Amino acid sequence: MFGIDDPWILLGYALCFISTAFGVVYGLLKWNEEV
Amino acid sequence: MVNQTLFWAAAAVYAVVICYLAWLGYKKTKCNDDYMLAGRNIHPVILGLSYGATFISTSAIVGFGGYAAKLGMGIIWLVMLNISVGVLIAFMVFGKPTRRIGKKLGAMTFPDLLGKVYKSNFVQYVTGLIIMVGMPLYSSAVLIGGGRFIEQVLDVPYLWAIIGLTVITAVYVVFGGLVAVMYTDALQGSLMIFGMSAIMIITLSAVGGFDGFQSLTDMSHLVPAGLASTGMTGWTSFPELGSATWYTLVTTIIMGVGIGVLAQPQLAVRFMTAKDGKSLNRAIPVGAIFILITTGVAYTMGALTNVYFYEKFGKISTEMTGNVDNIVPLFIDIAMPEWLVVMFVLVLLAAAMSTMSSLFHVMGTAAGHDIWVHIRRAKFFPSRLRGSDEDASKLRVNKIGTFLMIAVSLGLAFIMPGDIIARATAMFMGLCAAAFLPAYTVAVFSKNPSRLGAIASLLTGSIVWAIWTVFVHQAESGVLRVSEILTGNPSVLDFPWTVVDSLFIALPLSIVALIIGTMIERRRSPAVTEA
Repeated sequence: MFGIDDPWILLGYALCFISTAFGVVYGLLKWNEEV
Repeated sequence: MVNQTLFWAAAAVYAVVICYLAWLGYKKTKCNDDYMLAGRNIHPVILGLSYGATFISTSAIVGFGGYAAKLGMGIIWLVMLNISVGVLIAFMVFGKPTRRIGKKLGAMTFPDLLGKVYKSNFVQYVTGLIIMVGMPLYSSAVLIGGGRFIEQVLDVPYLWAIIGLTVITAVYVVFGGLVAVMYTDALQGSLMIFGMSAIMIITLSAVGGFDGFQSLTDMSHLVPAGLASTGMTGWTSFPELGSATWYTLVTTIIMGVGIGVLAQPQLAVRFMTAKDGKSLNRAIPVGAIFILITTGVAYTMGALTNVYFYEKFGKISTEMTGNVDNIVPLFIDIAMPEWLVVMFVLVLLAAAMSTMSSLFHVMGTAAGHDIWVHIRRAKFFPSRLRGSDEDASKLRVNKIGTFLMIAVSLGLAFIMPGDIIARATAMFMGLCAAAFLPAYTVAVFSKNPSRLGAIASLLTGSIVWAIWTVFVHQAESGVLRVSEILTGNPSVLDFPWTVVDSLFIALPLSIVALIIGTMIERRRSPAVTEA
């Protein structure tokens, strides 16, 4: 994909975007939750 | 070379805004609690930006960006760990109990938190001392990174560059405390997000868009023979499993920095500035996006510099300049439009100042609050030097402590070698993880933490880390030369131990020491266990 063949590099990039998306969704879902 | 007129005009605007924020911080700092923890009432967006800007320094952008140019895109796993461990786990798992316990016990600093949880002044002293000894290594590396860049791009002598950078940062840290530090962090963090986004777009257009990745893959035959023989396979592929390059990339850079972030005092103290747990949740999206953009761009751009330099000059990045720390500045200088070069200089200044200011603050409060405040009560201490217990006196002591630790960092920046930015950063983070992580984890999660376990872990982690760094891990032991002078060899062990980072030896032993110490304490006083 995009000229990168090594699955480890592609997995690294994918996990970067997935973990960022998780952080954004988590923060928004818990926005008003009292902790 | 940067357009000087444009730069100084932009720098003047930047300086005026920084001065205004520093003045705001000064006005809001009325007592020691404000100076140390920004009154425990910081806005979530400022918290998220401040956490990110403190975390990401010139080391990340220039140092590790240069490593990406040398070793390729495998370093993207560090971005993944920076987000998942450095933001998600740090805020969701460690942040909330740290804030809650810190507030309940009235802890002001990271050593103070550990000292109060373990009911031990000794734990507080040792933690404070490790910070005072280890952290100048990191703050000086950040300062060197900023200074070298200013020297290269603005043609300002290195000596004046690092003195200027230190003085500007010192003024707002000493007078404005953590409020000024976090307000300026938020400005600097915003600048970093905007600048790095622009750099990514222009880098991609300079190497032919996404086709640049294919070009980089096709360049694998250009990997220098020295790196190929130690396992490097190309810039868009991971090094050979178990090779020396693999060990360096995985154990020092990815894991050392990726895990080391969890127990860094300057980041842990950020959790204690939040008003409530809700603020920490709200800071997570800001922190995660910040890390993705700043480090993701720096490392991807770093690797792609090879395509640009090869197409323009027929050379790969490491052939363009002998020092990996110069690759990213050189690329920006040659490949970017004038306005973006100016922007990048400001981004790097922001990255350096936001990290340095937090390190100065943590070192200063360790010297003032954690060491001095206790030492002055000791019986051997002359009574006329003790000062009073009043808040104003403590505030003054913290300001003096901060000033002294800034002077130490500046002195160290004169004697440390130039190409040490990324290495010194990884060393400091490894030391933090080995010395603090087990005791910090137990402190925030155990209902009955063991004092003996914490002391054993702190001492074992820091001492083993130091021995392995000086005598075994060749990247450091070869530079320090203590092992060579004493034993005739730069490392007392053979491969692969010479390329296994100190963290991988010291952290497991630190955990074992914590468990053994806890078991001994439980056996001595079983009644405590049942309480």
